[in-house]
Amino acid sequence: MAKFFGVVLDEKRLAAIKGTPLEEKVEPIFGGALKRLVVEVSDDLGQKVIDQFTKARFDARGFIEETPAAFKRLVFKKIVEKKSLGQEVIEAAVAEIPSIKDDVAKEDRELPVPDIDISDVLELQKNPVQKPVQ
Amino acid sequence: MPDVRIKTLPPPHGGKIVERVVRDPEMARKLMAKCSAVYDIKPTLFKGNPVRNVYREIMSVCYGFFSPVEGSMTKAELESVLEKRRLLSGWVFPYPILFDISEEDFKKLGVGAGDWLLLRLKDEPFAILEIEEVYEISPGDVAVRTFGTPEHNPEVVKVPFDQKHTGYNIYCSLNPIILAGKYTIINEPKIREPFNRFWYPPKKAREEFERRGWTTVIAHQTRNVPHTGHEALMKMAAYIGDIKPCDGIVVNAIIGAKRIGDFPDEAIVEGHEMVHLAGYIKPERHMVTFTLWDMRYGNPIESLLHGVIRQNMGISFHMFGRDHAALGEYYDIYATQILWSKGIPSFGFDAPPYEVDGGLHIRPQNIAEFWYCPKCREFAYSDNCTHKGIYSRYSGSFIRGLINEGVMPPPEIYRPEVYKVVVKWWQKFGYPFNNEKYLKEREERLEVDLPHMELPAHLKK
Repeated sequence: MAKFFGVVLDEKRLAAIKGTPLEEKVEPIFGGALKRLVVEVSDDLGQKVIDQFTKARFDARGFIEETPAAFKRLVFKKIVEKKSLGQEVIEAAVAEIPSIKDDVAKEDRELPVPDIDISDVLELQKNPVQKPVQ
Repeated sequence: MPDVRIKTLPPPHGGKIVERVVRDPEMARKLMAKCSAVYDIKPTLFKGNPVRNVYREIMSVCYGFFSPVEGSMTKAELESVLEKRRLLSGWVFPYPILFDISEEDFKKLGVGAGDWLLLRLKDEPFAILEIEEVYEISPGDVAVRTFGTPEHNPEVVKVPFDQKHTGYNIYCSLNPIILAGKYTIINEPKIREPFNRFWYPPKKAREEFERRGWTTVIAHQTRNVPHTGHEALMKMAAYIGDIKPCDGIVVNAIIGAKRIGDFPDEAIVEGHEMVHLAGYIKPERHMVTFTLWDMRYGNPIESLLHGVIRQNMGISFHMFGRDHAALGEYYDIYATQILWSKGIPSFGFDAPPYEVDGGLHIRPQNIAEFWYCPKCREFAYSDNCTHKGIYSRYSGSFIRGLINEGVMPPPEIYRPEVYKVVVKWWQKFGYPFNNEKYLKEREERLEVDLPHMELPAHLKK
């Protein structure tokens, strides 16, 4: 069974592939709420990626998930460089993992908390329906 | 014409709810006086990391979640469970429940069959183990037989279990000496926030269902913060009911040891609570609860435990999805549904668990899969939607990956209020979720606090 590596595209990434053949390969997901590119790889290469990172795993759909964000950035860089969604993209990214070692280590330690207002949920939680009775 | 309405909650598994919690301090002192030694409960470690704490099993036994199990299993009971998934009494039960101890600790304690052992947790008296039998196990053998092998269980086991499987590691990491006997909690723990408002042991859950007038209730198993696919599953599975959809939807989270990167348990229970606080399901119809158990990820085997727990809570139906309680590709992705539709003979079920002697009353709602289909413009059920290639499947790992990349999941995937609950706990515990610091502190903190209780003089050293 083939394995897959998905790269979610934000505005910046979409701009980077605009006008290239990759643009036609963009897949809308969740009704267009997100867009992504998908690289199909062999089982062996998929396993090789998993082996590089402690938390990485195949999910139920056969996608390689929970790789560091630094690795996803590297894969996207290789996609743009090679203008391809072939598995050579992942091979090239795996070969360059030593260059992102520090970024991966930093990510393992901390990731900044998103700067969003959560006061509305804190307000809702002030009056829970289920109350402790013990 | 027979009346098809369901008028009562299902009976407890085994006939009655086990409740082995002493709330009278004088009685607790009398029971402690009979103990001949004290043992401080220790977590089970795998490669230095906590993967289980037997206190969670003691809680689940004594509060009746595992009824009719009353304690750590004898050797004969262990063999019966491993061979047939039946207790010696004949009631279905899937997993070994064992109090394990190292040879060194066993020698230090100097206890044997007939002795009572006081178990201490967080430096306070917690429970008593009435030792009925002491025996040895080979932890690796117990691990293999618990989960099965491709040779012995070819219907559903695809590859041999190994050290990448958390549940397998739990059993492999057990100490070799087993003290078998009944547990009794003699110092009732206080459940910590935020878990305390979700604490519904079977007796209390049944009282709450009756108070709400529920007779048809469906359970949703979780170990995740809910995405909109989970929400759709809950809402649609609940249509099963009798002459109307189920009265209640009960989320029962499994709370215990976690893996690095998983969502914190606090975010899981509060994320589910937000589904009703933010009005996506009416709170009159939706309850969030939890069970203390270090998840074994045993797919069909785990589903039997889920059936036992939720039936004991008074729940009539249980939704089972693809890859239920699974990790990796050890089992067929539909192993749980195979068990609950036709049985798995090699695991002792030549019929589904609700059709065998000593079986369960809870009924399965086997759900294949939901996905988001842009053509159907809805959360489509896989047995309905044929729009292959355009639908999007849900994946918790995918969503964690989005969060990891700093992308706020769109509302089509995650309710904004639920995401903000994740952010709340991200602020408190940091990232990655369930990092080493969190796991270490959590193992010291646990989910409970114990009131101070004086040790009897003869047990003070």
